[in-house]
Amino acid sequence: MKESEIQAMNRSFQILNDRRKELLDNKQTSKLKERVKKIRKHSIEYLDQLVDIAVNNLSRNGMEVVYANNSEEALKAIYEVVKDEKFVAKSKSNTASEIRLGDFLKGEDIELIETDLGDRIVQFTHNKKSSHPIGPAAHLNIKEIARIIREELNQPVKDDPQEILEIVRRDVLEGLTNCRVGITGANSVAAQDGSLVMVHNEGNISLVSMLDTHIVVVGVDKLVETIEDAVSVVKLETIYATGKKVPAYMNVVSSPSKTADIEQVLLMGMYGARRVVVILLDNGRSQALKDCEESLLCIGCGSCIVTCPIYSVVGYDFGYERHLGGRGVVFSRYLRDKEICFKSGLYTCTLCGQCSLDCPMEIPTNQLIEELRRESVKSGILKDEHEEIARKIVRKGSPFF
Amino acid sequence: MIYFRGCVVREKIPRIEMATKQILGKANIGYRILDNEECCGSFLLRTGFTDEAREVMAKTVEKLEGEQILVSCAGCYNTLKNDYKEILGVELDVIHTSQLFKKFLKEGMLSPKNLPVTVCYHDPCHLGRRCSEYGAPRTVLKQIAELVEMENIRENSRCCGSGGGVKSVYPELANNLAGKRLDDALRTPADILVTTCSFCLINFQEARNRSEGTLPVLDLSEILLWALSE
Repeated sequence: MKESEIQAMNRSFQILNDRRKELLDNKQTSKLKERVKKIRKHSIEYLDQLVDIAVNNLSRNGMEVVYANNSEEALKAIYEVVKDEKFVAKSKSNTASEIRLGDFLKGEDIELIETDLGDRIVQFTHNKKSSHPIGPAAHLNIKEIARIIREELNQPVKDDPQEILEIVRRDVLEGLTNCRVGITGANSVAAQDGSLVMVHNEGNISLVSMLDTHIVVVGVDKLVETIEDAVSVVKLETIYATGKKVPAYMNVVSSPSKTADIEQVLLMGMYGARRVVVILLDNGRSQALKDCEESLLCIGCGSCIVTCPIYSVVGYDFGYERHLGGRGVVFSRYLRDKEICFKSGLYTCTLCGQCSLDCPMEIPTNQLIEELRRESVKSGILKDEHEEIARKIVRKGSPFF
Repeated sequence: MIYFRGCVVREKIPRIEMATKQILGKANIGYRILDNEECCGSFLLRTGFTDEAREVMAKTVEKLEGEQILVSCAGCYNTLKNDYKEILGVELDVIHTSQLFKKFLKEGMLSPKNLPVTVCYHDPCHLGRRCSEYGAPRTVLKQIAELVEMENIRENSRCCGSGGGVKSVYPELANNLAGKRLDDALRTPADILVTTCSFCLINFQEARNRSEGTLPVLDLSEILLWALSE
């Protein structure tokens, strides 16, 4: 990450941290946090059953459900829906990034229109990297963003946030007129109700989910029992991610658009999506459930990276895709493999424990990293410097001889 | 009591050992030092060498079990106190110098002078977040100097950057982080930065020297000895 990006990111994080301080300390937030911790723990404990329940109820509500064991299966299922499209709209989704949906669609010559402002900006950068799960362009300053927009959209733009907003909005809205399929993630999924809960501030998810076909890509770790539980989860996520009590919008999708207003005859596709396809993604999560279930407690708020000392100097290079920071490194072991985990920064963490303190789910990331290092060393994937020091300690009882 | 110096103090910062021994002498406390003191195993545990750690810990625990153990380093403290219990099932009677010094002052075993300096204190991750010891070093410092606090302290102490084997693989990164922490200290009116971990101390000193800074970085034992010598 460039020094200017690091600086811009740390400035953004400082503002965010100051904004949320009071809210994080208040009693209501603490109560909500305790409730969500119980919800998440319970969900993880019964995850196998919850998956079956979710598949049943999402289907019963009229949505098509695909259980994808891995990225390839997820991409294949998405391809089946979008193969005749020239353009597809999308909202921010870390799960879609995890399966590299953007690269895949590009390879199939389908143009992806990111509708989230930060995501759209990031989409125009050379490496398309995001520095925060909720604020993906946190590492770009206004000058940089204006330059990116000028180059990409070929329009004169001043270093003015409002002007950038107007231009990107116009561009995205124009693009949306060409789209029949919208892809979103989901922040939480209520298995018993068969409902998907999505939060957003810009209103873009409402637009994307109202296209003819709505594809939802979501990891099985997002499952909870009920809508009430899901709303608690996304409310807490919002508080920790943005410092605001509630997001501008919470959408609950439980079915394609329908009506029975004429003689109780069920008709589909009144205003919203005629077809909703839910891709429930495993992609290593079942393995994580066996080996490292705490890593699945994550609600995706990104709080862990805001105060991580390593992240503050390394940025998005510490983590895997949009699973950023130490917890992302842990997750990469299950999403991919030991090598990728090693490369994502298994040995970049100082194990300081700050992230666990700031994590609303109190995920013990430093312990998980220690455990993964054990496994990594056993597999011979290790740092030469450490091996050398370890040898000295075993031989002479000291790291220095 | 065994004074277990730890590898870094033993081989890199003998002045902490000297200061600690002198303080123990002034408090009339008998102690011994192991002839064959070896690593506590912390580095091995943090970097994934569990089998090697067990081997080293088995040797060290034989020498330490059943005795009171004084340690200078926050890393040794956390390892001897928590990991030996967890991994070997052995509960060691271990005390950190900051805790012992606090006891000396409380019981009137030492009478330090008040130094005309302002200090700030860096909570090492291993002593703070891992072992919840935030008070003892501050109690000692308040008695001998004016203590001011930096940003990001106690539970939210910003890591110095050298832990978890990071310094041996990414020295630049470790130094970079230490520099940030030094900046926290430099934003206070403190004349001296004090800490209680030999690992943090070395990293701070290196980062300071690299940036041609002048802020003195001392172990708690050093500043206490100074106050006792005045």
